Amino acid sequence: MSETQSSPLKIIRDAIKRHKRETYTPVVPDVQFGFVHNNVDCIGCRACEIACKDKNGLNPGPRFRRVQYIEGGTFPEVYAYKLNMSCNHCAEPACLPTCPTGAIFKRKDNGVVDIDSTLCIGCRRCEAACPYGAPQFDPSDGLVKKCNMCIDELEAGRKPYCVMACMMRVLDIGPIDQIRAGAYQTKAIGPGETTVRAVKNLANPELTNPSIAFVPHNKGRVEEDSQQEEN
Amino acid sequence: MKKAKFAKFCTVILLLSSSPLISVAAETAGLDYERARWHPIHFKPAIDSATNEQCLECHQAILDRKVKEQSPAGVKATNALAWYQTLDVYQGEQETFHRRHLVTPMAKQLMNLQCNFCHQGHDPREEAPIPPTTKASFTLRKMVNPETTCLKCHGKYDYKVMGLPGPWTENGKLFNNNCMICHQAIRTNRHQVTYLNAEAIEKAGQENSDTCYGCHGGRQWYRISYPYPRHPWPGQAPVVPDWAKDRPTESEARFRK
Repeated sequence: MSETQSSPLKIIRDAIKRHKRETYTPVVPDVQFGFVHNNVDCIGCRACEIACKDKNGLNPGPRFRRVQYIEGGTFPEVYAYKLNMSCNHCAEPACLPTCPTGAIFKRKDNGVVDIDSTLCIGCRRCEAACPYGAPQFDPSDGLVKKCNMCIDELEAGRKPYCVMACMMRVLDIGPIDQIRAGAYQTKAIGPGETTVRAVKNLANPELTNPSIAFVPHNKGRVEEDSQQEEN
Repeated sequence: MKKAKFAKFCTVILLLSSSPLISVAAETAGLDYERARWHPIHFKPAIDSATNEQCLECHQAILDRKVKEQSPAGVKATNALAWYQTLDVYQGEQETFHRRHLVTPMAKQLMNLQCNFCHQGHDPREEAPIPPTTKASFTLRKMVNPETTCLKCHGKYDYKVMGLPGPWTENGKLFNNNCMICHQAIRTNRHQVTYLNAEAIEKAGQENSDTCYGCHGGRQWYRISYPYPRHPWPGQAPVVPDWAKDRPTESEARFRK
């Protein structure tokens, strides 16, 4: 159908253009799920990474989840700890409004930031916008893919593959406000331990409000009041 | 033996730092991808003086890549609307992120971005600054720090600081959708940095405020704004308002003209 001045298609396109130009209202989920990771007790076995790659059928290259080995100090005062991140399912994800096709969306029931890669045209804007390196470009098919917190598992009442594969039980998911408040029962947070929103070298959480909490190593701790300065 | 190796390493670094003409492609010829990633040009200090030409010798593909014509499910790129295509001043089809910042007509007209504006070094092994530091130029899992790069232009539109009653999309009509109604006189000393073409931006802004809106305050995806340096402008009030008390008064040294 050709687009005449008042054709329905033209009217719809103009309305979308006007709406898209002016507004972006983030979805406010009923419950925002998020990850918690214990940086101190993680042994860096990468079972979570492998489970994730296995579940999502990923080739070498793209990694939805990444375990990072952080080391420092000089002998005899040396230290090492692990950081472990996938998508942080942000409260206001930067990837979502950048997507021109609507492939990325945030779920209303649990706040999971999901992607339908069959709608992806490989422009990679989400990859650039995400401050935490979550969207992964797969060179084998030229599409962007990302963690969806194993939504099929969540909907079946189970936890994501990465969490289930963690032999140290240092990785878990749950309602992020309960995790932050210390009200969520999880083995990832030991007795007397508290969580923080950010650790050293994490991009400023004020950018998108990521749904992740860390039990930090002392050397990775960022004081809340100096967070702006630190970043 | 160790000293000799160290001297050789230093020589490479010095050469890379002092001469922009070294061909990285020639130096890495024959190396596989994993080995080439460890070439010193990918790290400080050499990366600070790397030219776009040097980077593109190996990374030309980032400018050659185009958006797919359609997604696997059949969504055509021509039927999808990227945010920047809603601007009156943007003409043309969808382009990739790198092309829109480096080689499209608008990028060439308004910007002078270098690869190392965003890419200031990286750790290919851990994707994290090792040891952890507060002075790293990249963040966990990212090759850039969005807060010190993207945000310089694309931060949240801070209408409160600007004294407006609400977001531009709600109040722009009060000002005839013209940024220059106020900015003809307020904060006129702007865009004077090496990564922007200040004169062209000012001219384009005078002609159509959609140019301003495209970078500042459009469909923002970060929740915070960038604390722009507050360069004095003619007629600036002598009293510094509370919100500006900790702001720098000069741009970063590496971007000053």
